[in-house]
Amino acid sequence: MRVDPNYVTTLVGSLDQAQANQQQLTAELSSGVSITSLSQNPVASGENVLLLNQIQQDDSFTQSTNLVTGQLQVADSTLGSVVAQLTQAISLATQANNGTQNASDVKSVSNQISGILDEVQSLANTSYQGQYIFSGGQTSTVPFTTSNGNSPGVTSYNGDADVNYLVTPNGQKIQLNVPGSQIFLGSGSNSVFGALNALVADYSTGTVDTSQAVSDTSALSTALGYVSQQRVTIDNSISQVTAAGDAVTSAKTELTSAQTSLMQADVGQVSTQLSLSETQQTALEDVIAQMESQTNSLFSKLQ
Amino acid sequence: MGTISTAFSIMTQALDADQAALNVVANNVANANTPGYTTETPNFQQNQPLDVGGVSYGDGVAETGATSVRDRVLTERLNQQQQVASSTGSRLAALNAMQTLFTPDSGSSSATAGDISSDLTGFFNSFSSLESNPTNNSLREEVLSSASTLAADVSNAAASLNSQRSALDQEASGVTSQVNSLTSAIAQLDQQIRSTSPNADAGVLEDQRQQDLSKLSQLIGINQITTENNGISVTTTSGQPLVSEGQSFQLTTGTVGGVTHFFVGGADITAQLDAGGGQLGGYLTARDQDIPSVLGSLDQLAYSVSTQVNTLNNTGTDLNGATGVIVPPATVASSLNIFSAPPGLATGSVSGSALAMSVVMTDPSQIAAAGAGQATGDNSNATAMAEVANQAVVNGETPSNFYANFVSELGATVSSVQTENTAANASVTQLQTQNDALSSVNLNDEASAMSTLERSYQAASQVFNMLNTLMASVLNLGEQSTVS
Repeated sequence: MRVDPNYVTTLVGSLDQAQANQQQLTAELSSGVSITSLSQNPVASGENVLLLNQIQQDDSFTQSTNLVTGQLQVADSTLGSVVAQLTQAISLATQANNGTQNASDVKSVSNQISGILDEVQSLANTSYQGQYIFSGGQTSTVPFTTSNGNSPGVTSYNGDADVNYLVTPNGQKIQLNVPGSQIFLGSGSNSVFGALNALVADYSTGTVDTSQAVSDTSALSTALGYVSQQRVTIDNSISQVTAAGDAVTSAKTELTSAQTSLMQADVGQVSTQLSLSETQQTALEDVIAQMESQTNSLFSKLQ
Repeated sequence: MGTISTAFSIMTQALDADQAALNVVANNVANANTPGYTTETPNFQQNQPLDVGGVSYGDGVAETGATSVRDRVLTERLNQQQQVASSTGSRLAALNAMQTLFTPDSGSSSATAGDISSDLTGFFNSFSSLESNPTNNSLREEVLSSASTLAADVSNAAASLNSQRSALDQEASGVTSQVNSLTSAIAQLDQQIRSTSPNADAGVLEDQRQQDLSKLSQLIGINQITTENNGISVTTTSGQPLVSEGQSFQLTTGTVGGVTHFFVGGADITAQLDAGGGQLGGYLTARDQDIPSVLGSLDQLAYSVSTQVNTLNNTGTDLNGATGVIVPPATVASSLNIFSAPPGLATGSVSGSALAMSVVMTDPSQIAAAGAGQATGDNSNATAMAEVANQAVVNGETPSNFYANFVSELGATVSSVQTENTAANASVTQLQTQNDALSSVNLNDEASAMSTLERSYQAASQVFNMLNTLMASVLNLGEQSTVS
């Protein structure tokens, strides 16, 4: 049987292969990443794109929740102050309605309620980072103005009924604002400003038309209840944002661990492979050296 | 009747034959490392016997030259496998260069520069952030800057692909001159072989011809056909003649549609060479199939993302209260375009969209976060634009899914070509081993032949010597001292 006399060339080829293998393994060890090119694992590379995409989305949503939580909390505490003001206005009105107060006291109630009206209006005109939070989409327009020419005065809404939503990574829509018209100028007896303006007018002369005043006071109570209801919407949003943020954070943790196990090099395994490959290289080198050192043909034996 | 003189003559011939055979061995040893050299064996032939008075006497030996030890079928198979190995090898090199443009992103937080996948996500995320505060200028700036990053990375990748394509084009046309010089050398050798050795192996000339055929096989895909008088015809794998009847046909190049095409005579054989094999086949496959397919995907992505986002942004209301004026697609600029309109927008052609992708909007207040007819504090259009990330807008897939499938496909292509290449190389090695076992100079064999011939030369000398003594005895007729 004839053999290939050039087998050392094949051995050198294997040696090159072993070295290339070691280079790859060393790169994996030093970078900590097992997939350094698409062809190493095409499916994992594709999956990696999707995982990173979700992780980044979650990161970005976490930042957004920080931004909106601030705004929602300002809205909530503002409505809290409104409720306090209105409660005070109701107790003032109730006092004025019980018929025990003289004209100047009643006028003073009118002034106090007028002050409360101003206060509530300024609360309704609250802005967050330069944007009015109760003017719907028209965040650069002062939402409420009161004209004092008429009696009772008229408070008008300059914003719109636009509602913004924040969409979470899994598609849930969270309401970010409640338009001012819905909170403060509800229809019928739900209008805060309507009731306040009416009460100011009721007491402004010093003489009280008790039945009218009582009916206006009860309208203010209804409006107060209505404001509290609207406040619930904001509170719900706050808890939804918090819950969504938590869900996203835990999802992100899982995704990150999935992505890590997909892409990270298994140090133990890679080290073992590297050591095996080094052993192989040494063996090959020895064999080649031995082959080269022998005067490797019958010619050496001919005399 | 045989005489002592006849015996002398027979021994002289034996010594000559052994010397000639030793020459063959020496030549083998001398050429042990010559590329393409095929080991030769000496041929001994018994001389015509002498017929004297009805009795036949042997008339010694002659060395009638050397025969190259080759298996032409094996060599041809080796050449064919070589074509596959070279083709997959050069295609693999091109694909490897391509896939470095899309190296997988490893980190979960830090985005690598040039990673289109995280650019895409970042871009759509910037709209999600804008939802939370649609009038915030820094969030708007963020949208434009992430759009710029995306556009720059897509466009850079496309530019790199184009330059790789033109590099491949140059390499491919560089192969032409080598092919032509080889085919003319083969044609010349073929002429010589047919005139000098029409009926037998042409030895060294054949070695050279085979060597040239093997080199040619590394460059392009060929078929070889043995013709009369020991000649061969060489054609491309598609049958276009390159060498025929001792004449070579030159491969010429010309530019068609911006890339080099290849011609023999007047016929354009580019497509056939593409599938044919050899280095040239690999270059052309990468140039005409792999790169255009990757570029096509990027174009599709760039086209869909930029037209979707532009359309939405033009229908919304920007921070100045303005709504976009949509100009019919043939002209470039609708008033609130974020990205430049793709060059093929008028005809719906995606080609060139990736390279041309850029951000034309400079004023972040022009981002239409508010819906149509809404005040500037509205965020419904920002939500809609962020939602594009989850819509099947690119060839029926979401942008991220499309990109994920795209990298998977590219990776799978590279990986399968890698496997093909490994298999072809293994097969080449195997055939090479078989061929070397048969045809290359084995020094052990030569040493053994050398000893055998040396011994046979010694034996012949010895016989000659004895004949000499015998002759002396005859001449002296018993007087030992006269002739010695």
